[in-house]
Amino acid sequence: MSAPAVGRPAGAAAVGVLARRNPTVKLGLLFVVSLVLVFILDPVTPAVLYVLALIAVAASTRIAPRALALLHLPFAAFGLGVFLVNALSRPGEVLWSAGPLRITVEGLSVGASLALRTLVIGVLAIGFIASTDGVRLMHSLHQQARLGPRVTYAVLAGYRMLQEMPREWQTIRQAHAVRAPLRPDGTLPRGATALARASFALLVISVRKGERMAQSLESRGLGLSPRTTWRPVRLSAADWLMAAGVLAVLGAVLLVSAMLGHLEGIDALFG
Amino acid sequence: MVSTSPDRQTAPRRTPWPLKDLVLLVVLGVVFGFVYWVFVQAWTALSIAMGPAGDLAQHFLAGSWLLVAPLAIAIVQRPFAGVIAEVLASVIEVVFLGSAVGPMLFIAAAIQGVGSELPFAATRYRSYGWLTYALSGLMGAGLVFFYSALRFGWYGQDLFFTRLAIHLLSGVVLGGLLAKVIVEGLARTGVVDNFAIGQTRLAAGHGTR
Repeated sequence: MSAPAVGRPAGAAAVGVLARRNPTVKLGLLFVVSLVLVFILDPVTPAVLYVLALIAVAASTRIAPRALALLHLPFAAFGLGVFLVNALSRPGEVLWSAGPLRITVEGLSVGASLALRTLVIGVLAIGFIASTDGVRLMHSLHQQARLGPRVTYAVLAGYRMLQEMPREWQTIRQAHAVRAPLRPDGTLPRGATALARASFALLVISVRKGERMAQSLESRGLGLSPRTTWRPVRLSAADWLMAAGVLAVLGAVLLVSAMLGHLEGIDALFG
Repeated sequence: MVSTSPDRQTAPRRTPWPLKDLVLLVVLGVVFGFVYWVFVQAWTALSIAMGPAGDLAQHFLAGSWLLVAPLAIAIVQRPFAGVIAEVLASVIEVVFLGSAVGPMLFIAAAIQGVGSELPFAATRYRSYGWLTYALSGLMGAGLVFFYSALRFGWYGQDLFFTRLAIHLLSGVVLGGLLAKVIVEGLARTGVVDNFAIGQTRLAAGHGTR
C-alpha cells in the first residue's frame, strides 16, 4: 500500500490573484456565501451563482481546467445522488410514475436547487483550498481573528503530525505485515478488521506523540505574552475590496432573481 | 515575564486548559480526520457506484463522525471538551485535508459536539457507563440530523423518518458504544494515564501497572 499524499505538498506556494488575499477574509466570505445559499431553494439562483463562482475561481487561481473538472467529481456525484433522491421521493404534482417510483415537479425543482448548491459551495471551496496555505491561514486567524496562540500552535503542531501521518500509517501497516498471519493466498489481511487495528495503533502513537509535542511547546515558552509575530499576514485594502465585491455580486444576483420571480426560500421544502 | 497588556489567552479564568489537553483534542481531530480520509477514498467510489442509494447509505455511517467528542470528553473530563474537539476536527478537515463540504462543516461539528456533550454534562462529567455513551451518540446524531435535514433538504421527503431512524441507530452504535470500546482500549494501553481519565482510573484502583 503506497502512502497517500495529504493535501498540497508543504512549501508549494499557491499562485494567482486569490492566493495573495488575506486567508481570514477568504474563509469568512466562503462561510457567508455558504450560509446564504442554505436559505435559497430554487434552481435558477444557484445556477447563476455557480457560473459566476466558476468563472471567478478559474480566473483568480491558476488551476488547469482539467484539474478543476476532476476536483468537481466527488461533490458532483454527491449532487447527482441528492437530485435523484429528491426527484423520486418528494410529494407534489406527478410528472411521471411507474410502480412505486414517481417523479414530481417539486422534487425536480428542489433536487436541482440542492445539487447546484453543492456545486457552488464545492467550487468556492476548491478555490479557497487551492489558493490558501494552511499555515498562513492559522497565522492570519491568530492575527486578524484573535485566535489564541495556544490554540493556533496546537493546530499547527497537529498539521505537522498530519503531514507525517501517511508515513506513520505505512510503518504500522508494514509492522503488522511482519507479524500478521497471512491469508491462504499469501497476501496481507486487508479487511475492515486489519484497517481498524492499524487505525487504533495510529491513535495510540499519535496520542503519545501529542503529549511530547505539548511538553516541548510549553518548555519553549508558548503562551507567554506579549508575543511578537514572525512574518505577519497583512490585511490590505484589496482584501476589503474583494469582500465588498463578492457580497455586492451575491446581493445583486439575489435581488434580480427576486425581481424576476425566481427566488424561493426555505418553505419550498414544506410546500 | 510579566505581561503589561491583558491578553485574551491569559485573562483570568477559573482553570485554564493545560496545553497537553488542547494538543490532545487536536491530535484526536487529526487522527480521525486522517482515518476518515482513508475510508472516504473508498467511500466516495462506493457512493458513486450506488447512485441515489448512496445518499441514503450515508446515514448508516453518520454515527462515526461523532466519535471525536465522546473520546475527548472521556479522556480530558472537562466542560466543552467535546464541542472544542469536534470543531477542531472540522477545521483540520476543511483547512488541511481540503474537504469540499466547505465551512458549513464547522457549524455541523459544533452542533454535533453540543449533542454528544450534553449527556456527559448532565452527569457533571462523572459517569462514563454504557448508557451515557449511548445517550451521547443518540443526542449527537439527533441534533445534527435536523441541521443536515435543513441543509440537504430532507424535510418533506417521503424518506424523512427512514433517514431519522437509521441516523439515530448509527449514532448510538458508532458514535456512542464504539467510543466506549475505543476509550477502554486506549486506557488499557496506558497512553492516557497522564490525563484526567488516568487519574480517575488510578483512584478507582485499576491503573495499568
